[in-house]
Amino acid sequence: MLKKLLAAGAVAIGLTGLTVPTSVEARTLDEIIKSGTIRVGVNPTLPPLGKFDDKNEIVGFDVDFASEIAKTLGVKLEVVQTGSPDRIPFVVSGKIDFVMGAMTRNPERAKVIDFTVPVHTEVLGVLTTKDKPFTDWKQFNDPSITFVQVRGSTPVKFIEDNLKNAKVTLLDNYPDAVRALAQGRGTAMIDVIDFMGEHMAKHKVEWKVVETPIDIYYCGLGVSKASTGLKDWLNVAIFELHRRGKTDEIWKKWFGMDMLKPVGVTPYF
Amino acid sequence: MSYTLQYGQIWPYLPRLFDGAWIALQIAVLAFCGGLAIGTACAAVKSFGPRWLTRIVNVYVVFFTNTPQLVQIYFLYFALPDTGVLLSSFAAVLIGMTLNAGAYLTEIQRAGFESRRVSEMEAAEVLGFSRLQQIRYVILPHMARVLFPPLSNHFIIMTLGTSMAAVFGVEELTGQAFNINSLTFRSIEIFSVTALFYVALTLAASVLLAAIGRYVFRARTGLI
Repeated sequence: MLKKLLAAGAVAIGLTGLTVPTSVEARTLDEIIKSGTIRVGVNPTLPPLGKFDDKNEIVGFDVDFASEIAKTLGVKLEVVQTGSPDRIPFVVSGKIDFVMGAMTRNPERAKVIDFTVPVHTEVLGVLTTKDKPFTDWKQFNDPSITFVQVRGSTPVKFIEDNLKNAKVTLLDNYPDAVRALAQGRGTAMIDVIDFMGEHMAKHKVEWKVVETPIDIYYCGLGVSKASTGLKDWLNVAIFELHRRGKTDEIWKKWFGMDMLKPVGVTPYF
Repeated sequence: MSYTLQYGQIWPYLPRLFDGAWIALQIAVLAFCGGLAIGTACAAVKSFGPRWLTRIVNVYVVFFTNTPQLVQIYFLYFALPDTGVLLSSFAAVLIGMTLNAGAYLTEIQRAGFESRRVSEMEAAEVLGFSRLQQIRYVILPHMARVLFPPLSNHFIIMTLGTSMAAVFGVEELTGQAFNINSLTFRSIEIFSVTALFYVALTLAASVLLAAIGRYVFRARTGLI
């Protein structure tokens, strides 16, 4: 019996190794145009980038921006729901043509997928509660501090690099993380504060944002390394949307204010 | 597009998987032992206890065997704080899995209690054994032999079930796999290695349990 189990295990592992490399496929620009639909990954737990409306449909900055892209390309938009941990695997496996949802550009991710020029920025801040005395993010580098963070999000790495002494509890999504913080399961959370507003409002807690903008990230669209020509075309389209002021217009519609740190238009990319 | 397997990228993270496996095993063993204690007590109540107590046990068993374990732990972790009870991630997972195991093991053990032979019980009665002595010397040894294989199976299921602790911020095996995945994005490599870790864990547990069963309780399971 033991031998049989081991043999079955070995066969199963062998099969995975054989079949996986050929089963993934990203679409080229031509294929997308021909199909008439572009599939875009949006994370609905990052309001107002993406959220569910009353009709349970995903809306937000990302959806409006992706619609502009689809309109410019002359195809229909298909929004696919993604989360922080699965968004890059979705791109790599060709389930979506590109992903939005605060895709911060960084060298680790760029090993696996390609990035377009930036669409928007993210200004990181520290979210905590009024009863805590903190005034500077560097005060959080202490073993008595527990951060509540979302698995797979960029600030996790920031904390590992810059606030080594603090503890971190990782949860799967933003609603759970903000609720855990509200319930007192942690001291603070580092993330893009603009995105936290709707989650914060759901809890009767006196929130406090430690005012220092501790880091600024640039978010582009994430595309597969194999989607030939798509990235080049997207770069041109994003430049045009910035130049025409369309991006700022959509941002203001959803965030109610201008981008804290504008991307700036540059024709070189 | 062809995917190139790059196992080299995840080797530096292996210690994290070992840490995670250790935590998974701790949760499984602790929750199983706790569940076994609850299950034994509840099964005894169902077989010998007063009717009102049996009713309470029935409600508990029906509730926990008919709702998903994930929902039960979610309740402990996120709903209880609204009533003022704040359990840590580890405690919530452990209590949730223990209560769940207790309910299933009650049902499994009840079958063991009921498999006792009437003649043996009569003999014990004639010899003047008290109720407690009857349970200790007649019923339990008999039960152990009947129950060992299904209990072993449940332990294996619980070992695999520890993966849901990742949802609540416990850095066990699956949680660590998610973390490494979000750092390296080598999903196929990470999850195939993680799967091997689980296979190793459950195989080791199976062999150990089978050995215990064979030499201590003279119960045979499929493995050895």
